[in-house]
Amino acid sequence: MRMRRVVPQIAVVAATAMLSTACLAASPSDTAGSGGGVGSGGTPPGDKQVEILFGFGGDQTRGFEAGFADFTKRTGITIKFSEASAFDTLIRTRVAGNSTPDIALFPQPGILLDIAKSGKLADMSKVVDLDKLKTTLVPGELQAATGSDGVVYGVPAAMNVKSLVFYDKAAFAAAGYTVPKTQDELTALTARIKASGTTPWCLGIESSSATGWPATDWIEDYVLRIGGPQIYDKWVKHQIPFNDPIVKQAGEAFQAMALADGNVLGGRAAVASTNFQTAGNPLFTPKPGCYLFKQGNFITQKGFFPDSVRATIDQTVGVFQFPGKTADDLPVLGGGDIAAAFNGADPDTRAVLDFMLSPQFNGGTAEGGWLSPHKTFDVNQYPDALTKQIAQIGYTASTFRFDGSDQMPGEVGSGTFWKEMTAWIAGSEDLDKALSNIDASWPANS
Amino acid sequence: MAKVLETLLAIVGGVGGALLLYYLLNKVAELLPARVEAGIKPYLYILPAVAAIGLFLIYPAIQTVVFSFANKTSTRFVGFGNYAGLLTSPGFQLTLINTVLWIVIVPTVTVAIGLGIAVLADRLAPRGEKIAKTLIFLPMAISGVGAVAIWKFIYFYAPPGQPQIGLQNAIATGLGFDPIAWLQIDTAKLNSLMLMIILIWAQAGFSMVLLSAAVKGVPEDTIEAARIDGCGERLVFFRIIVPQIRATIVTVFITVLISVMKTFDIVYVATNGGFGTNIVAVDFYNQLFTNGNAGYAAAIVVLLMIAVLPVMIYQVRQFRAQEAAR
Repeated sequence: MRMRRVVPQIAVVAATAMLSTACLAASPSDTAGSGGGVGSGGTPPGDKQVEILFGFGGDQTRGFEAGFADFTKRTGITIKFSEASAFDTLIRTRVAGNSTPDIALFPQPGILLDIAKSGKLADMSKVVDLDKLKTTLVPGELQAATGSDGVVYGVPAAMNVKSLVFYDKAAFAAAGYTVPKTQDELTALTARIKASGTTPWCLGIESSSATGWPATDWIEDYVLRIGGPQIYDKWVKHQIPFNDPIVKQAGEAFQAMALADGNVLGGRAAVASTNFQTAGNPLFTPKPGCYLFKQGNFITQKGFFPDSVRATIDQTVGVFQFPGKTADDLPVLGGGDIAAAFNGADPDTRAVLDFMLSPQFNGGTAEGGWLSPHKTFDVNQYPDALTKQIAQIGYTASTFRFDGSDQMPGEVGSGTFWKEMTAWIAGSEDLDKALSNIDASWPANS
Repeated sequence: MAKVLETLLAIVGGVGGALLLYYLLNKVAELLPARVEAGIKPYLYILPAVAAIGLFLIYPAIQTVVFSFANKTSTRFVGFGNYAGLLTSPGFQLTLINTVLWIVIVPTVTVAIGLGIAVLADRLAPRGEKIAKTLIFLPMAISGVGAVAIWKFIYFYAPPGQPQIGLQNAIATGLGFDPIAWLQIDTAKLNSLMLMIILIWAQAGFSMVLLSAAVKGVPEDTIEAARIDGCGERLVFFRIIVPQIRATIVTVFITVLISVMKTFDIVYVATNGGFGTNIVAVDFYNQLFTNGNAGYAAAIVVLLMIAVLPVMIYQVRQFRAQEAAR
């Protein structure tokens, strides 16, 4: 008889204990792999599921997902596409919380390498055939994802090209202007347009909480041209001070080209509050507000250039490479989405990486303005002649360098570089002060 | 559909689980001898709440204090290095000054506006009072991000010659001036003040509702007595009404003050702390997520906690005094 009473008592106590601890019971998390390993995060190996985390959205996401349609059918691997509107925040949180995706696409190598220090990212040479990829990849992209330990932590899955100047073909031709081949010719063209009574350049650096970044592209392009790739690399790694004389020259060149009185639509003060997405639209007004607009290839996508322009893009929009010192000097500043693996040991993850990083992968040429980082990519897949031309500029670059601010530590690359450039352009401080402030903000190694 | 189902499940599971937990705790208590049961029951009932606070509030708070003495990745202790680094950096000093300005200006103005409207609306016909109060209260329902999106239509700047879709610049250009980039002007902290207006706009309704209730609670006979004694309206307001609703004013002031200290969204969306408008909550976010510097981020939070603490203590004391007076 006693037994009868004890059993429910035990049951009550046990149920209470279970209920109160249920919410605490986290699944056993994996431990961090050591540096240079292959990583062991993400979904369990061999379960035919792979999660890819990325920061883009809209048409780009749709195009990217469509690129895997045949692959998933062929292999039976299910891909979970995790779109993150705040990629940096999410990836840092997920790394800290040990719930990493299998693959993450980093727009900024700086953050990738910072996270690589946690030891959770795979050494890509142990996951994919790097030597083979190197033969087709645009140079400079892999370099940007190589840690100070010499390990390659990421391989680009997409490329973008930033050293581009857009113009309106009809307006350009009507005024009798020709495409400049050198910086001197570009300076001459700028002066000529100015003399005709129109401001030569359109420029906008407002981008809500990221205001200032388009100005960093200008500085980087000039450092690459004035200092050359070696100085550029040293500058990006802070092996020379941020306010090195070369960088100051770059700032002055930028100022002379696009910020001087009468050179920019709305005047210098307007630049900091003109939105970058629509800054170039006065190119296409009946009476052009400007003739030249420097921006990355992504500016042609929906919502940036006007719809009417996009409808007849090949007839309307012309583009030329932001020139170098000489006509043969064709350095290109670019960027990309760099794939890194948290789960390199998983055969499914490897299969996805092999496919996504191959020259055959099409991550949305039609929908999202996606560019392949492989020189051997079939350019006929690009939807229009303009995109084809832009891709070729990337593929035939004499030097290709990844966007410097994206490689720098977050404090600088996503912080002071943006803010100080904005302050300088808005006129609240001079160039020397801005550059030395950025230099002072470079984090000490800790 | 799946989302709706998940939500329903979460509600049923959460509420049901809590009910079940209390039911079982009660059963456990009943298993004990009657005398012990009576003594232990209250503790069992507050146990889940205390455990939850301990787990989700006290433990992280202690952890944050510990991390504030550690390096960027919380792997090595650096003593007071983070605090020294922050307090000596001109950027953070500016951030602190801005935050102090927010703390002083926003609650003061919010209370003043709320009180003014409460008193004035009190004199309207019931219908007019209702409409006026509803309008003032509406922004309360708008999130910080939404509020900034709305106010951007007031501060918006486009270069001269282009259509000005912002109200202030439409007026400025209409009067023949050049458009002004309002949020970039940090002379006399103009841009910070303009961001503060957004928060005041959003908080004034809250302040008004509480103060209006208090104003209506002021006994009519005290006011009439004052009038009979020959007090003017101004004297009635400052000598009769305000002293009687002092407790509510303090409560509103402190509530708004605490929410100001935590304000993040308005500044983050509008300027991300650029143009000299940074405040501590935005700086904390950028240190943690942009810079990956957990040490600085934790140190900022600890500084903020230290700053909020006296206010909290004062509020609790005030509350107790009020309770005791009742």
